[in-house]
Amino acid sequence: MLFRLVWASLVRHRARTLLAVLGVAVSAAMLLDMVMLSSGMRASFKNLLLSRGFQIRLSPKGTLPFDTDATIGDAAEISARLRTIPDVITVSPVLGGQVYASAGGRTATAVALGVDPAVEGDYEIVTGRSPSTANEFVASDDFFHATGARLGDSVSVAAGFDPQLRAVTGQRTLTLVGRAHFIYMPAGQNSVALPLPTLQAMRGESAHDRVSLFMVRASSNDRVDKVLADIERTVPRVTAVSIETAMQQVDERLSYFRQLAVILGAVSLGVGFLLVTTLVTVSVNERLGEIIVMRAIGVARERVVLQVLLESSAIMLVGALAGLGLGLVTARYLNSILASFPGLPAAIDFFLFEPRDAWVALGLLAVAGVLAGIYPSWRGASLPIAVTLREEAVA
Amino acid sequence: MTAALFALLFIQAIDSTPPRPAPRSIAVDERLAADAGLELGDRVVVASAPGGAGDTVIVAAITRGRADPSEVARADYRVRMHLDELQRLTGYGDRVDRFAVGTTSASATDSALRAINSAAFGFRAHRSRDIAVETSRTFLVVSRFHRAIGVITIVASAIFLLCIMLLKVDERRRDIAALRLLGISKRSIIRSVMIEATLVAVLGSAMGVALGWLASSIINWHYRGVYRTPLAFAVVTPGIVELAVALSLVLGLGAGLAAGRRLVRQPPLDLLTGRHESRRTARAAA
Repeated sequence: MLFRLVWASLVRHRARTLLAVLGVAVSAAMLLDMVMLSSGMRASFKNLLLSRGFQIRLSPKGTLPFDTDATIGDAAEISARLRTIPDVITVSPVLGGQVYASAGGRTATAVALGVDPAVEGDYEIVTGRSPSTANEFVASDDFFHATGARLGDSVSVAAGFDPQLRAVTGQRTLTLVGRAHFIYMPAGQNSVALPLPTLQAMRGESAHDRVSLFMVRASSNDRVDKVLADIERTVPRVTAVSIETAMQQVDERLSYFRQLAVILGAVSLGVGFLLVTTLVTVSVNERLGEIIVMRAIGVARERVVLQVLLESSAIMLVGALAGLGLGLVTARYLNSILASFPGLPAAIDFFLFEPRDAWVALGLLAVAGVLAGIYPSWRGASLPIAVTLREEAVA
Repeated sequence: MTAALFALLFIQAIDSTPPRPAPRSIAVDERLAADAGLELGDRVVVASAPGGAGDTVIVAAITRGRADPSEVARADYRVRMHLDELQRLTGYGDRVDRFAVGTTSASATDSALRAINSAAFGFRAHRSRDIAVETSRTFLVVSRFHRAIGVITIVASAIFLLCIMLLKVDERRRDIAALRLLGISKRSIIRSVMIEATLVAVLGSAMGVALGWLASSIINWHYRGVYRTPLAFAVVTPGIVELAVALSLVLGLGAGLAAGRRLVRQPPLDLLTGRHESRRTARAAA
């Protein structure tokens, strides 16, 4: 009977109820998007950093990895020292640079990574294989498109350009042996990876025995702090960045989006709450006669309160469920906008859906629905029976 | 014409005993001065590597960063020093990263660009405006994101406004029924509802503009503190005010029209007695 009364009350003003559900749906969609935004980019970035299992990055003192052109000298010695630290399983030195590649009459500029091909710390092979000799390299899809090169082709690759001589420098003919997905590169970036000694030699004296960063894998996540301390003691010339430190830096740089998410999420929740409160309050005011008659014939106050709370919760719940679907669609659209940030790794998602986000949004809306019904239900339940009956009869 | 070279430097404060005669001067940005406790006249050592040998220099100026959005999320400190000293310190030789060239007019810029690029010394001249467009891509993305959020907000506002107008008009159904029974035309009633909606929209817009101005002041105050920049993060421009007021009026009028027409379609006696609602409630309850 209670649910039938709630249903009757809601369908009495169909347009009004429909608009309220729509309003809550848009608010819920916005709320879900903002919950996803506030946690998504952090989780996505963490997943990205941990995707190859390296918990620590070493960069030139005072810098973040690839934040500047600064490099670390005596790379071979540092590499050897790092390998002596207990709990260090893998050390992957990486040198960044730019190369000019010519194949079949087409030339393209690409970001080059000098790596240890046995580790594959920055990419994963899609087709073909990793370089096994000094004159082999792998490239991204975009590189293949830009140069028209095919697997097995010989490509002329240069590491620099001398403006005075108008000639390329550090030129080599390398064989393209693999198509790779570069994990940390932005979309549309021409990227290649070649053995570290090859890139160092191509860049000449300025890159001799130098790297841009080291990636270090510890035996377990529990040992990361100890490994960090050991690195700082053993190699004081570098800055060791753990995942947590990197996350702090990301939080700092992207704090704008987190704060925006909190503000817009709170506003969405507030708008949904106000909409339902207004609607249910007006609805109760219109039905004072009915409510007071129910009270007069013996219906308990609690039942009146419950009916009004159920009305507000029903609007919130239906709106929220519709809003979750809408939110996923808008999140995809908003993510496609933010994904075009220049220089951002293609694998980063600003709006990463996790079931927890949906539960958080639903929970917040459910609480808001109950809160929205408190005032009108209190008003309906606390009316003096005799006076209200007389007033309604006169009206 | 000015030449520029950029490098990562390390600064170490030292005591005030002058180790060498006539040290060179540098300018540091105010964030570095505040964080490192530097003041005008202080002597510091600048080096290209941490702990490495460097030069002792005097802090001759403290500079304030420009309102440059491309640097807003970067916490790097900026030090300006004499070009030859930085070249020597970093072992860069007689090299620079870029030249900035000033011209006398727009046509002179075009001819200078052509002349420099045709000389083909291995570098390329770009118009400052083109570089600005390229470096502001980040902000174009943020701007598109804000616009998308704005559209969602407008949809939510439109629904909210329509809902409120329906409620307001519904509340007055007995008055409207009485007016209809007195012979007032449907058109007059709709017009009165629309005038009321317009007034609500205008008042709401005025309050919204005031609230927006207050919110933008708070946002600017907060983010200027967070990012330590004079940049304005939120600006209420006349164009934005016009758009908001126009949207509000259109939505208000549309909502008023929809609510008014819906109400005058009901027979006046049903409106007066609430019979149409009772019938609907009874059907639903059954």
